[in-house]
Amino acid sequence: MTATSWVTRVVSALLALALLLGSLMVVVEIVAAALGRAPALVPYPEWTSWLRTHSWNDWIVNVVLGGLVVLGLLFLLLAFRRGKPASLALRSGSAGVDFAASRRSVEKSLAAAAARTTGIAGASASVSRRTARVDARTVARSEPGIREAVESGVRGRLDSLGLERRLRTRVRLTAKDTR
Amino acid sequence: MSRRANVINRVVLTVLGLLLLAAGGLGLALSVGAFGAWRATYPVLPREVSTFPDGRPWFWWAVAGGLLLIAVLALLWLLTQFKADRTTRLDRTTNARDGYTTLHASALTDAVENEALGITGVTSASANVHEHRGQHVFLRVELADSADIGEVRTRLENEVVAHLREGVGDPRFPVTIELRPGASRTPQRSVT
Repeated sequence: MTATSWVTRVVSALLALALLLGSLMVVVEIVAAALGRAPALVPYPEWTSWLRTHSWNDWIVNVVLGGLVVLGLLFLLLAFRRGKPASLALRSGSAGVDFAASRRSVEKSLAAAAARTTGIAGASASVSRRTARVDARTVARSEPGIREAVESGVRGRLDSLGLERRLRTRVRLTAKDTR
Repeated sequence: MSRRANVINRVVLTVLGLLLLAAGGLGLALSVGAFGAWRATYPVLPREVSTFPDGRPWFWWAVAGGLLLIAVLALLWLLTQFKADRTTRLDRTTNARDGYTTLHASALTDAVENEALGITGVTSASANVHEHRGQHVFLRVELADSADIGEVRTRLENEVVAHLREGVGDPRFPVTIELRPGASRTPQRSVT
């Protein structure tokens, strides 16, 4: 599961819990009021008088309404944000067999492919839906052809995976701190 | 983890987001006088609204009924978060009149895992039976960095999947295979 799905799942669980408890609390108040009891959990007489004494153009009402708009936008953002994929589809073989590669393992594999290049001290990779980014640390400041060598290694690795959708590759070289 | 939960979360969050956006947006429009300047100075809860339930005893019971419905839906939504797609039994019933045939998923997944582990380059394998739009086997295969991915794929398809389908008696039984290339640690090149 990706970080985005985790956030969505946690927010959904909290929201469901809040809706469940909130609804039950109001039902308890309705039953208590029907039995002629004083408010048990929600001080609704104070809330009612507050709503009666404040008009729509009061600043505090506007702040609450603005909060509702922000919350609504956050929910929509969570609902529509796709984030990074958990896995990347590979070209499928026979009918009924779907192949995929986990994104994290592809990142590790690309980093390893880049790190195998001569003159590269270490590398890290990040894969999104369309692009594979590789950050490689070189030993020397400017070895000719090193970028092409890293790119070739990374492309070779991507080709061997047989991804359904071809990824663009971006290689960034940084000189290793040699202090 | 359940894919169904992801879909439900997106739908419910969209509905709630739109409701909050509409409520907040309309309230703000009201406060700036978009529906008439006089409305902006009107109380948020006018007297005619707050006195509406007086003399209508059914009103609060109707509200309580609606809230109980929301509480039940919220409980179902909450439970969805903890449900997994995995299942422990595989239903192979062809005709319910003749009886039911179920297969322990672990018997099948153990066999699949063992066979996958026999392929050169495979360092670890785990299989589960998932229930999402029908049953299917999900096989996760970790590969050594040096593994020949093409060769592993071919053997998985021609041997592991073929035997699995033979075992369940369905030549089209759906299988999803997730490869994890380079999941086993590769020593990093050190340059001095």
